[in-house]
Amino acid sequence: MPHRHYMTALRLDESEIQTRRSYFELGDDDLARLRTLHGLAEKHTDEFIERFYEHLLRSASTRKFFPDDATIVRVKRAQRQYFLQLFEGRCDREYVQQRVAVGVAHEHVGLAPTWYLGAYRKYLALLQVRLFDDLPAAEAQAAFLSVQKIVFFDMTLALDTYIAAHQETLARHQAALRELSTPVIRVHDGVLLLPLVGAIDSARAQQVMDTVLLRVAEEKAKCIIVDIAGVPVVDTKVADSLVKTTASVRLLGAHTILTGISAQVARTIVHLGVDVSTMHTRARLQEGIELALDLVGKRIAPVRAKRSSGE
Amino acid sequence: MNVEPDAVESLSRREMPIGSEDDVVVVRRAVRALAQKRGFNAFASAALTTATSELTRNVWVHARKGIAILEEVADGGRIGVRVTFEDEGPGIVDLERALAGGFSTARTMGLGLSGSRRLVDAFRIDSAVGRGTTVEIVKWKEP
Ligand SMILES: Nc1ncnc2c1ncn2[C@@H]1O[C@H](COP(=O)(O)OP(=O)(O)O)[C@@H](O)[C@H]1O
Ligand SMILES: [Mg+2]
Repeated sequence: MPHRHYMTALRLDESEIQTRRSYFELGDDDLARLRTLHGLAEKHTDEFIERFYEHLLRSASTRKFFPDDATIVRVKRAQRQYFLQLFEGRCDREYVQQRVAVGVAHEHVGLAPTWYLGAYRKYLALLQVRLFDDLPAAEAQAAFLSVQKIVFFDMTLALDTYIAAHQETLARHQAALRELSTPVIRVHDGVLLLPLVGAIDSARAQQVMDTVLLRVAEEKAKCIIVDIAGVPVVDTKVADSLVKTTASVRLLGAHTILTGISAQVARTIVHLGVDVSTMHTRARLQEGIELALDLVGKRIAPVRAKRSSGE
Repeated sequence: MNVEPDAVESLSRREMPIGSEDDVVVVRRAVRALAQKRGFNAFASAALTTATSELTRNVWVHARKGIAILEEVADGGRIGVRVTFEDEGPGIVDLERALAGGFSTARTMGLGLSGSRRLVDAFRIDSAVGRGTTVEIVKWKEP
C-alpha cells in the first residue's frame, strides 16, 4: 500500500498528527462542529460535486485528467466520499491515511499541486455561500472557520505526500543514472575502459571509485583507462577523485591511464597546480588504448603490409 | 553621467543561491553561458568556469550556504564576467596559508583558492572569522 509507506516516510504517527492539529488550531470543538454540519453538507453534495466538476472540465489543464465519462462517474463517486469525510469530525490515523492516499494518487497521474489547490478553493467558495445561506451569520462564520482548518490540514497532507513521492521518483532516477554513467567496458584481457560523461559530484565520485576497484579486482585487470573527454569541468574535486582512484588501483597492482584531455583541461589542471604524475596520461583515447596494450604486452598491428600505389 | 576611465561598469547582474552540491553545477553552467554569450575563447571559458566551480564548492563545503553574483562587466573597451561569492560562514583563520595552496581544513587538495587565483585576471578575497567570506573574480575577454 503506497499510502502506508508515506505514513512512515512522513512520520505521520499520533504525535505528529497532534502537532499538526495544534498548529492548525484544529480542536475537538472544531471536529464536533463539523459533525453537526454533516446533514447540511449531505443536502448540498450533489450540487457541489456537479459545480466542482463543471469547474474542472472547463479548464484544459484539468480536463485532460478525465478522458471519458466512465472516469468522470468514478471520480465523482470518490469525490463525494472525500467531501463528506470532511464532516465526519474525525482526525485520526485512518483519516490521515485517506488524505495521504489522495496525494499519492495525484502524483501518480501527474496532477500538479496548482490544480489540486485551485480546485480546493472552488469547494471552499461553494461551501461558504451555502453555509451563510443556511445558517445564522455567527454560526456560519464559526462553521466556515472549522471547515477551513480541516481543509488546510488536508491540503498540507496531500502536498507533503506529493513532494515526498516526487523526491522518491527523482532519487530513483538519479540512482539509475548513476549506474548507467559508470559503464566499465572490457577492451581486452586485463584492460578496462571507463568513459566518464557528465558532472562528477561527491556521490558520483564515490560510485566511480567503487565501481573501478570492483571491476579491476574482478577482471584481474592490469590497466584501466579513464576517459574524461565527456567531463565538462575538471576541477580539484574531480582531480582529487581521479588521483585517489589511481592510488587505490595501484594497490591492486594495476595502472590507471587518463585520456580525453583537451588543451583547455590540460591548461586548467596545470594552473590549479594539481599533480597528476601518478597517472599515465594521453590526450586521445586511441593512444591510451595503445599504451594499455603495451603494458599488457600486446600491440595493434596491421593484418598485412599496406600495398603502395606505385606497384 | 560621469564615468571614470577605469571604472568597471556592470551590464547585467544575476544573483544565484548556493545551498547544495548541485548548485556547483547550476552556478558554473550559468557562468559558462555568460562566457559563451560574450564570445570568450575555449581557454578563458574553461578557466572561468573551473574557478567558479571551485569557489562555489568552497561556499558549499566550508560555509554551507551563500550566494553567487554573476555580472557582465565593461571597462573601457573590454568586456568581462565578474563573479562574486558571498557567504556568512566561519571565515578563513589564516588567509595567507589558505591562499598559498596545499592547505585544507576539509582534508581535500587545498588547491581551490590558489588555483582559482591563477585561472582568472582579477581576484579579491575578504574574509573575517565568524563573519564570512567574499571572493570576487573577473575574467576579461581577450580582444
Ligand atoms: N568560503 C569559505 N569559507 C570558509 N573557509 C574557506 C572558504 N573557502 C576556503 N576556505 C578555507 O580555505 C581552505 C583552502 O581552500 P581551497 O584552496 O579551496 O581548498 P579545499 O577546499 O580543498 O580545502 C579551506 O580548507 C578552508 O579552510
Ligand atoms: Mg576548495
